[in-house]
Amino acid sequence: MARKHVLAALGAVLVLSAAIFASSAASKPAGVVADDPNNATLTYWYWGEDDAPGATNWIKKEAAAYQTAHPKVKIKIVIQSTDTLTSAFTTAAQTKSGPDIATQWATLPVLTPAWNGSSVAISDYVPASETKNWIGTSENLSGGKLWAMPQYLLGIPFVWNKAMFKKAGLNPNKGPKTWTELLADAKKLKAAGITPFGMGNKDGYGGAWFFSLIGKQNLNSIDELKAAMLGKAKFSDPKFSGYLQVLADFKKAGYLNSDVASISFPQGLQLFGQKKVAMSWVTDGNVTAAAKALGGAKAMGVGPIPKWGKGKLASSYDTTQSSSAFITSWSKHPKAAAQFLVFLHSQQAMKNWYAATGVFPADKRFPASLVTDPIAKQQLALDLSPVSVWPENFVPPQVDGNADLAAGELITSGSGSPADAVKLWERELAKWKAQHPDEFKNYTKWVSGG
Amino acid sequence: MGFAFGYPLVQVVRESFYAGNFASPIWVGLDNYKGVIADPEFHTSLLNNLKLLVAVPVMLGLGLLIALVLNDRIRGGRQYQAIVFLPYVLPATAIGIAFSFLLQQNGVLNTALRSAHLGVLAQDWLGNAHLAIVSVGGLVVWQQLGFGVVVFTAALLALPPETAEAARIDGAGWWALQRRVLIPQIRPIIELLTVIQVITVLTWVFNYVYVLTSGGPGYASSVMELYIWRSFSNGANGTAASVAVMLLGMASVLIGLSLWVRRRAVAT
Amino acid sequence: MGAAAGGGDVKRATGGRVVGLLAKHAFLVIICLAALYPLWFIVSTALKSNAAYQLNPTGFPTHPSFGALRSIVVDQPLPRWMLNSFLVTISSVAVSTLIALLAAYAIVFGSFRGHKIFLSTSVALMVVPPVTLLVPMFVFMVDRGWVNHLQSVIIFYSGLLVPFAIFFLTNFFRTVPHELIEAASVEGAGPFTVLRRVVMPLSGAAGFTLVVVQAIWVWNELLIALVFLQDESARTLMSGLAQFQGRYSTNQPLVLAGALVSIAPVVLLYLSGQRFFVRGLTAGIGK
Repeated sequence: MARKHVLAALGAVLVLSAAIFASSAASKPAGVVADDPNNATLTYWYWGEDDAPGATNWIKKEAAAYQTAHPKVKIKIVIQSTDTLTSAFTTAAQTKSGPDIATQWATLPVLTPAWNGSSVAISDYVPASETKNWIGTSENLSGGKLWAMPQYLLGIPFVWNKAMFKKAGLNPNKGPKTWTELLADAKKLKAAGITPFGMGNKDGYGGAWFFSLIGKQNLNSIDELKAAMLGKAKFSDPKFSGYLQVLADFKKAGYLNSDVASISFPQGLQLFGQKKVAMSWVTDGNVTAAAKALGGAKAMGVGPIPKWGKGKLASSYDTTQSSSAFITSWSKHPKAAAQFLVFLHSQQAMKNWYAATGVFPADKRFPASLVTDPIAKQQLALDLSPVSVWPENFVPPQVDGNADLAAGELITSGSGSPADAVKLWERELAKWKAQHPDEFKNYTKWVSGG
Repeated sequence: MGFAFGYPLVQVVRESFYAGNFASPIWVGLDNYKGVIADPEFHTSLLNNLKLLVAVPVMLGLGLLIALVLNDRIRGGRQYQAIVFLPYVLPATAIGIAFSFLLQQNGVLNTALRSAHLGVLAQDWLGNAHLAIVSVGGLVVWQQLGFGVVVFTAALLALPPETAEAARIDGAGWWALQRRVLIPQIRPIIELLTVIQVITVLTWVFNYVYVLTSGGPGYASSVMELYIWRSFSNGANGTAASVAVMLLGMASVLIGLSLWVRRRAVAT
Repeated sequence: MGAAAGGGDVKRATGGRVVGLLAKHAFLVIICLAALYPLWFIVSTALKSNAAYQLNPTGFPTHPSFGALRSIVVDQPLPRWMLNSFLVTISSVAVSTLIALLAAYAIVFGSFRGHKIFLSTSVALMVVPPVTLLVPMFVFMVDRGWVNHLQSVIIFYSGLLVPFAIFFLTNFFRTVPHELIEAASVEGAGPFTVLRRVVMPLSGAAGFTLVVVQAIWVWNELLIALVFLQDESARTLMSGLAQFQGRYSTNQPLVLAGALVSIAPVVLLYLSGQRFFVRGLTAGIGK
């Protein structure tokens, strides 16, 4: 090897790295750029595919269509993953850099960044004449302002496979209405060699759904849960934590798929459509996908979540806007971002959305006449239930990740008792209070109507 | 070097006394440390690092055995060594992802076991709280094994052939020859490698855990690095910093040990 | 004699020796299969469609589909991540090697006081857990607006690599005869000239080894890349790949196609310079 070449190569590399430094320094905008809604580059951290299969393709197409109509606007769609959706944004917020538009789940995950100054109120950029048509805005209100845009309306119905019910000697047209009925059905299904219920919980979201769907059923209002988050009520009260025992018994009886603890939540959502389990609860979007795979209303039943608790929320449904989009405080183009978000609520965009995903847009202007499929009609009726609440949205994100998700994992993996899981919840609530005194203060203020 | 180490080492100690975000840190004294020490998840994480220590004798023992067999100038020895060493250079992230699919309850490993009528051995490698950290350890062994093989082979090769020859003439069997003659001669290298691998499993297993189990189920397979990263991702920087300081304390002991062992290894 | 146990004249060997020899080969073959199977799993899965994989995860890809690989390159920012990984690897290795070259030269041939302490410090710093430096470095990079820019990880990686590089080069320079240096100095050559004319020409193989070992380390690093490069277009291959796992958990062939692409450069480098790897890693251990 010619030694001089080594030196020359080293030199070249140094020049190269200097160039990288220079280029990244040069890419910083010189001075303040005017916020022209029709001339901007927007980065959009998008999430939706796990709720509504087809969502990713839809947003990419809408962004392309928007760019054609607005030639000076460039939209970069960056798909986020479920397990790091919250942590990725938390880290970005610390650097005060990142996307112009971010996606988070509604309520606490949206409001926490709002409180720490990482987002701007969308109601400051979009007129009330537009936002009044959006459904579910109450989920993201704080301090009299609206902080995020709802995109879709997501219910979580209970589903069952009619052929499997028949095989187990059950009435295929009658799904379980109560938890007792569900256990009886599960027993027969298991005896017939069918896996009764399917979900994935490697990442903890299966357990979190148990918390949201079953755990709320002894509450009379969501304010009770808020009080427990602030330590004004004890989470160890079975009113809040009783669901953990239900999950433990369910698992112990062998009614869950054997790989519940080792497959991811999105993988679990597919089990029903793959005919691997007889019952499940899945998002509206996954109902649509499963109906395609199984053969429509003849093959599967759809209904509300079986009743377990005795509180007023036991008869509530569980529609939420699920994920919402908001504009970050460091975005240089909030007006451009707002204009694009409003575009996503245009008639054409909503029609495209529904065609792509089978999930209803969160907008009063969406014509119900477009819904013709019998299963979809059932879902729409459920989604418009008078009382609807998704309790996970009211748990501070850190507690959700460290306690809600982890507690369910303890149970489904058989590594902890419900009592251990309750302790974990209480510990994490205390930890949150100690590690984030500022967040705790904001939550308290918000609960008291601030 | 001074910048990359000096500045952060001082800063991390300072930050461990604060809570809140970077923009508005709040002085909390020793509260971060108290919180961590009282936290069972930290105990689990620390304990898991200690459990992973079991991987060290496994990988080094197996590596030594392979090196000894290769040392017999077996045909194809170079090829065998090249293959055994290959995993060591591969990205742990990519490999860990492959293992996370292979080890699922209904993944390839269990399917193979069941079809071989060994269904009893088919365990929930990632979903079982006791096994998850074992699976992590298995992955560490799988990837680090070749390192030991290569280092030991080189050490054996450097030994003077006379002593082994003399032992053979005395009629020593294969095992006796290895145990009484060869292994004692490379003992300093074994000690050094032990210290290096102990440091690895205590402080450099984030990749494996992150992609294989993310610390789950619950916190069952969390390790200190993951605990730091998790606290950091939650915006609990003070907590992350206080664990970092503790980890640094533990590492210093090992660093001292490594300097000492290294000096001995070089001296002989 | 050494060859009697293997390779030699099998006919003359006794039955017991043949059994022993077979046992040794069987043992090594099993170990090699265990080492190679996960790689085969990655390759074969990456060549399947998702539907084919669901039906038969372990089977041979009889109808190889390049859909996953094409999708990885066309629909995903993988080429960009790869470019980033190359830039980061090349720059970090170059910076650390250059610094270490000068430092090691000064330690071995220079006459500055405290070079022993300096060397011990280097060895000690080799084993400082990078995760402990994470939070302060993050604050530092945030203050300078360098997060999501490649220089953040280049600086961090270079710093982390320097101690090992100094240690490695010091060990090597010690094998260079002092007389050569003295002779050159007598002729009036300055230290830089000596380094360039005398020491570096002798260090070709060692230098290459050092570069390869460092490059592999940087290429494979995950934690730091994950924290400092969050912007989709700034990611390295490893941090991008880790995101893939969560994002496409229902499409394993796609994820493993990404893994395959990230492994390929390392395997190629390995196959082309295996002896350098072996030498480099054993050298890092001591003498």
